[in-house]
Amino acid sequence: MLNPATAQSVIDHALSLGADFAELFVEKHLTSSLNTISEKVKSVDSGIDFGIGLRIVFGGKVLYGYTNQTDAEGLMRIASNLAARDKRDRMHEGVAFDFSVMTDRHPSKIVLSKDAAIDSKVEYLLKADAVARAVSDSITQTRGYCNQREQAIEIFNSEGLHTSDTRNYIRAGLTSIASDGTEQATGGWNDGGLLGWELNGSMDADFTGEEASRQALVNLSAKPCPSGRMPVVIGNGFGGVIFHEACGHLLETTSVAKKASVFHDQMGEMIASSVVNAVDDGLMNNEWGSINIDDEGMPTQRTQLIKDGKLTNFLVDRIGSEKTGYPRSGSGRRQSYRFAPASRMRNTFIEAGDSDMDEMIASIDKGIYASHMGGGSVQPGTGEFNFAVTEGYYVENGKIQYPVKAATLISTGPAVLKEISMVGKDFALACGMCGSVSGAIPTTVGQPALKVDDILVGGNA
Amino acid sequence: MSQPQTINSDLTQASEQVFNRVKNAGAEADLIIIAAESLSLKASDGELEEQTVSNTQSFGVRVIKDDHIGIAYSEASDEESLQWMVDQALQNATFSDPEPHERILDSQQSLVSDDSVFFPEDPATVDQQIDMVLELEQGLLKKPLIKNVPYNGVSDIANSRYLFSSAGLSAASRQRMVYAYAYALAEDGEKNAMEGTGQMNRLTHQLNVAELVESVASASLDLLDGAPIPSKHYDVIFDRECQIELFGVFSMVLSGKAAKEGINPWREKLGGVVADRRLNLTDMPLLMDGFGYALFDDEGTATANTPMIVEGKLNTMMHNSVTADHFGLTTTGHASRGARSTMGVGSHQLVIDTGTASAAELYAGEYLEITSMAGLHSGANAISGDFSLGVSGFLCRDGKRVQPVRGVTVAGNFYKMLNQIQCIGDQSFWNWQRSSLMPSIRFADLAISGE
Repeated sequence: MLNPATAQSVIDHALSLGADFAELFVEKHLTSSLNTISEKVKSVDSGIDFGIGLRIVFGGKVLYGYTNQTDAEGLMRIASNLAARDKRDRMHEGVAFDFSVMTDRHPSKIVLSKDAAIDSKVEYLLKADAVARAVSDSITQTRGYCNQREQAIEIFNSEGLHTSDTRNYIRAGLTSIASDGTEQATGGWNDGGLLGWELNGSMDADFTGEEASRQALVNLSAKPCPSGRMPVVIGNGFGGVIFHEACGHLLETTSVAKKASVFHDQMGEMIASSVVNAVDDGLMNNEWGSINIDDEGMPTQRTQLIKDGKLTNFLVDRIGSEKTGYPRSGSGRRQSYRFAPASRMRNTFIEAGDSDMDEMIASIDKGIYASHMGGGSVQPGTGEFNFAVTEGYYVENGKIQYPVKAATLISTGPAVLKEISMVGKDFALACGMCGSVSGAIPTTVGQPALKVDDILVGGNA
Repeated sequence: MSQPQTINSDLTQASEQVFNRVKNAGAEADLIIIAAESLSLKASDGELEEQTVSNTQSFGVRVIKDDHIGIAYSEASDEESLQWMVDQALQNATFSDPEPHERILDSQQSLVSDDSVFFPEDPATVDQQIDMVLELEQGLLKKPLIKNVPYNGVSDIANSRYLFSSAGLSAASRQRMVYAYAYALAEDGEKNAMEGTGQMNRLTHQLNVAELVESVASASLDLLDGAPIPSKHYDVIFDRECQIELFGVFSMVLSGKAAKEGINPWREKLGGVVADRRLNLTDMPLLMDGFGYALFDDEGTATANTPMIVEGKLNTMMHNSVTADHFGLTTTGHASRGARSTMGVGSHQLVIDTGTASAAELYAGEYLEITSMAGLHSGANAISGDFSLGVSGFLCRDGKRVQPVRGVTVAGNFYKMLNQIQCIGDQSFWNWQRSSLMPSIRFADLAISGE
């Protein structure tokens, strides 16, 4: 995408200004988006993002510029402007590029540059819609989407790195809206991965439609949620957002290096209950949060974050490594050329345990079973987090009683990790988008169902 | 307006190239071009930690052919890329269902915003802006118990928006904004708290760093001793930031597009009572003090003040020409579209009329002042109106903060809450991003879960 001679001249120019490190991130990104409302195709959009990000490092200082232009002069001008205040004698000689071919662990077939497959996507979404609306007369509408992207990246740096990768992302889902004439409620289902529209082969439109409507109808009948501190069983799959928010963000050197994480000085210490084992794995074939190389050009890894409750690793990018001394973990990620990379999660999950779901529910006198979770957020400095329950049930005397709505779980990362008393066997992963300093990136969350003994449930009963 | 800008001839040529290809295909179209230049600075431990500069532009075309709509965009502006973009949009249109209400407006207007007001020359140098971010971080670190300022920055952004149509419309607006923000981590033994805020203005020298340091420091320090309060129903006053965020999340009820699509819970309530009769909500796009100022919307319709809720009754929804045509109305100038998106509707600057409550009345007795909310993107459902959010703030009595509060949630239904207004303050405030102007509102009887 960028002539290596141009890249070399820009990086040499940055080094001549006294930079310790210089890097070019070149991106061409095809996008396609399809949206339906019930049986109608509402919109079909497509486009190309193209740009170059230039990162120059002086000591611990990161200077970053980006543009849509590809000419060497323009890029060198950005370098000069960025380095105006730090300019000094050359500290390092440039290293000739040595192109490295990465191993593609995530082969894709029906990719955007070859076939947008709009007809097939429309067929899938309209079938899911028909199934969803056939579930009940109370389902008044569905909203379907299929978003596909093809992100080609090329990275050059002053250490001689030259590498490239192409990432194919696909995600499709349906939301059902249920109404009883006065109240409205929603339910949804989606799937996705780091692959092309061959995802269609593993998705079932019938299941998608039925599941979205089932959840909408449950929520329509839900009662206000009791509030207060109580035990909660959090369902598998997207329930893993609890770990993502409560702990994962606090293990990124983005916050660790600033000492803005409550875990910054707890390496090797017990930070969770001994039943907790947690991993961030970029290698899983065709999973939504996987990559081949990170956005700094390093092959990605599987990183054991917590072993038997003990903190074993952080997620480390280049700058985080320089600041903390921990080795890089192939976790430097960014949304696009518009962002400097930062340490970020990939596929992050709590590993399976040995408890049964029935056993977990039976152990609760008064509490909540949060079978499906929505998104959440965390305050890294304090570890305070919140996340929303999108399908939940009140549990009393060891039995599920009735569905509840508008529930939120709040706590702090350190507190909740120590309150996990039971971890189930039904491990599952789910797709999500994670927003942070380097933009919104695809991440997978996951866990088996697990029981938290004491957490604050916010409800309006 | 005075001081008309001249639209760059390259952009005019690009638009002509796009429309020639569109017309040859027997279609009509509009073209949005978004151009941006920015500078962002962050400090750490007394040094500049990060400096980011950018210079980008995006082209987005919306074609309409035989009632079918297609959207495509490109960040490359060469002739070949623009041709590809038009061809993609035409192809996309073949897949979408017909939308008979969507048309390119028959407007040959030329609209240009006033650069002297909205795009002033900023005499500040980059070095001065770097000094400002260092002063912000250091000012906070000098405060007792402030251990770290992990998130801080000064940004200088110049946005330009151009809109052309195959009917002959030509519109341009430019806006400069400079802002500073910080989140400070306060620690006292085992206790910690991290809060923050910011300031936004047109010119660097209009930012007051000393004032911002005091605001950020007190936001964090005042919550250090925060603790849950007993679970029960409280009167609640959201601070200016939180209240505006909350109204923003639920502004879908004002959307003509959501009404057309059948998901707006107020779609059958036009003319009916939706809120306490003392509530008056108006969209005021021409209020020049705000950063939501808009001379024209994204169809090129000149904007005007639009009373949305009048004495508690829903007066109108926000419409673009498509939703207006669907309901047999005229557009209210609320078309909203980015270079990459389909035609929607959006508010410009929501303003709530001041009420009659004096400070003594507003702050009488016991209430919870909420100063920080978490989980708005996940814990609030605009379709149902239900929300449940983690919040921090202060338990207050007669206007005095008697206890900092953390680790609690507030839950309710926003649409019902609009009928639980106890009183509306007699003074208005902008939020720090100057996107909306509202008085404080005291809501009765919201469920707080704590200890």
